[in-house]
Amino acid sequence: MTITRREFAIGASGVILGSVAAPFVRKAGAAGSTIRIGVVNSMSGGLAAYAQEGHPAFEYIIKKINDEGGIKSKGGAKIELIQADDTSQPARTATEARRLITEEKVQLLTGTILSAQMLALTPVLDELKTPTLSVWAGGSHSNYMFTLGYPYDRGYAQSMHDFVIFLRDAQKFNIKTAVMGYSNYEAGQQVNKFLTEKLKASGVQIIGEAPLDIRAQDQTSAMVRIRSLKPDVVVGLVTPRDGILLHQARYNLNYHGSIFCGGTGGYSDLSLWKDLGPEIGKAVLTNNLFGMTGFSPGAKIDSMQKIITELRDVAKLERIGQGAIQYAQAGRVLQQVLETSASLESDALLDAFKKVNIPFGDPNLYVAKPKGVQFAPDRLLTDGSAMFIQWTPDQQQQVVFPKEFAQTAPRPRA
Amino acid sequence: MRPEFYKTLLSPFWLILLVLAVVLPPLLPSYYLHIIILTLVYVALASAWNIVGGMAGQISLAHSLFIGVGAMFSTALLLKLGINMWLGLVISAVISGVLGAIIAWIDFRFRLGHLSFVLITLAFAEMGAVVVEGWDFLGGASGLLLPRDTGNFLQFQFGGGIGAFWAMLVLAVAAILINVAILNAPLGYYLRTIRDNENAARAIGVNVLRYKIAAMVISAMLSSVIGTAYVRYLTFADPYLLISPVIVIEIVLFATVGGLGSAFGPALGAILLVPLGEILRGKLGGVLPGLHYFIYGVVVIAVILITPSGLLPLLEKWWARLRGTAPARK
Repeated sequence: MTITRREFAIGASGVILGSVAAPFVRKAGAAGSTIRIGVVNSMSGGLAAYAQEGHPAFEYIIKKINDEGGIKSKGGAKIELIQADDTSQPARTATEARRLITEEKVQLLTGTILSAQMLALTPVLDELKTPTLSVWAGGSHSNYMFTLGYPYDRGYAQSMHDFVIFLRDAQKFNIKTAVMGYSNYEAGQQVNKFLTEKLKASGVQIIGEAPLDIRAQDQTSAMVRIRSLKPDVVVGLVTPRDGILLHQARYNLNYHGSIFCGGTGGYSDLSLWKDLGPEIGKAVLTNNLFGMTGFSPGAKIDSMQKIITELRDVAKLERIGQGAIQYAQAGRVLQQVLETSASLESDALLDAFKKVNIPFGDPNLYVAKPKGVQFAPDRLLTDGSAMFIQWTPDQQQQVVFPKEFAQTAPRPRA
Repeated sequence: MRPEFYKTLLSPFWLILLVLAVVLPPLLPSYYLHIIILTLVYVALASAWNIVGGMAGQISLAHSLFIGVGAMFSTALLLKLGINMWLGLVISAVISGVLGAIIAWIDFRFRLGHLSFVLITLAFAEMGAVVVEGWDFLGGASGLLLPRDTGNFLQFQFGGGIGAFWAMLVLAVAAILINVAILNAPLGYYLRTIRDNENAARAIGVNVLRYKIAAMVISAMLSSVIGTAYVRYLTFADPYLLISPVIVIEIVLFATVGGLGSAFGPALGAILLVPLGEILRGKLGGVLPGLHYFIYGVVVIAVILITPSGLLPLLEKWWARLRGTAPARK
């Protein structure tokens, strides 16, 4: 069977027109008192994993808020989510945000919004003055951007530093030298800069760097460099993909001369075992390795345990990791902003963001923050701390730091 | 210069464009103005690339390097050394021109075939990306954030929205006019001769090295200037956008769909495909992620199947048929 150009053109036109018309058909049925929130996620492209895990949890929380009567201070107004895909490209985050604000008339923006997207979004937010909550950005350059992400300095770098010093001083690990092993991309470089300064200030000698090329198919060369330097500790921010390659290389070289600690996905993502396989996982993940994370199924936090159970049993989500919990938390933050805001005007919403307070012990606090969720004057979380875990041979996590959430002491060096 | 150049220059098309440029921007919502600005950026970039890729027939993937130099280097000069961005624009353009000349010389010296040339230029682009991502001065992988655009023209600021529209319009028109000028000048003939048969061109006395270098230098410098203006509009110098092979692949796609080698073909490709991509993503991206890519792909395949030499030749044929005349020979 052959297809003529005319038939191809007719078929293609049908596909295009049908697809373009679909959202309008769906929109025609929508009505009622609603608060419109724009959600700019990377639903396709290289960063899609964040939203693919987190967005279902966010949608579940918003649906729950709506089912429980909506935003009560606004007459029970329901939240309507208007979604956009930035295809993992920061410039498109800015374009989609502009569309959502000016065309879809959303009152608030949220979404994955990693640090590069945050930077691209900054001029748009300054121009259009729309309060925005990023789920993951490590900084904020606009007065209208608040973020739940770990700050590079007092979040990632401080947590890693505190844990290394905890191992050295409280657990009596012999840690005198360090190699900075980090994914060589925007966040990795930023965290590395702050972490290096902090470790040096605490008396740890930095004897080298082993940046992980994020395009590499293999991290053996980085591991060979680490082995040649033989530091007491290898520390840095590592992405899940680089983490898998690094652990694979460590297994191949059978290297156990250093303690590896870092975050987040490359050391503590639940998918590491699946990608590495049980044999490699057992050999490297359970030996001399500690991972930074904002979420662990075993953490001693009642509200976190409760939301995990709810997402698993009620929402029927299959992937419940750090991303899902972070997005669920974003839903609760937005709920509080809308409830406490005097109106839906930009300035009122901005004021409400500044007053957000979900204290430790609150049932709506899902992330592991001993001081709860509040925004500092720089619009980043006041408490940027995270937990550290160790893996067990049966692929479970045990929280070892900080003491508020710890289930056990760190395993001694092998 | 051939009389056609002056005929094109005096065409009522430019007057209509000027009227539209004055009337349209204040009436357009911010989002659609942004799409038009983006379209103008790609019109300019595709036209700049066309000098090498279309006229000389050399599929260069190194243009992301030139755009990246224009964007990242001028931004770094401003932020790190306090050098005015106008001067940064000139310095970056000169660096890009030199890099372009080196690439053209390598091509000539080693008599690279088409595929080798593509791979060499891709290697240059990748090396550029690695350097930018690893060099703190250029912002590393984090990129650089320019100060807010307050409209201070002397500081290379255009005031956002409408000002940026005018800046991009000037660049797009300039890029197209340079294409028209080259096509109607001896350089254009030499480049087309080189494209069609390099050995024959050499045999009849065309100085292949000189004209290859000339084409690459003009194209590289123009791309660099556009890169500087683009980053000023974006405010955020993102290495993963501005010095990534993705941007050059888009440019090649627009030029190919519009019609390679002609003065207006690449512009036409960008005018059709940039808004299509943006609007498809806006309408479908949040509903069915990835579907817009699929539809975009279908459209591109359809165009290439229906008119392999690009849309412009097809439109010219239709126009000639409508007027009952034969299409002008290229």
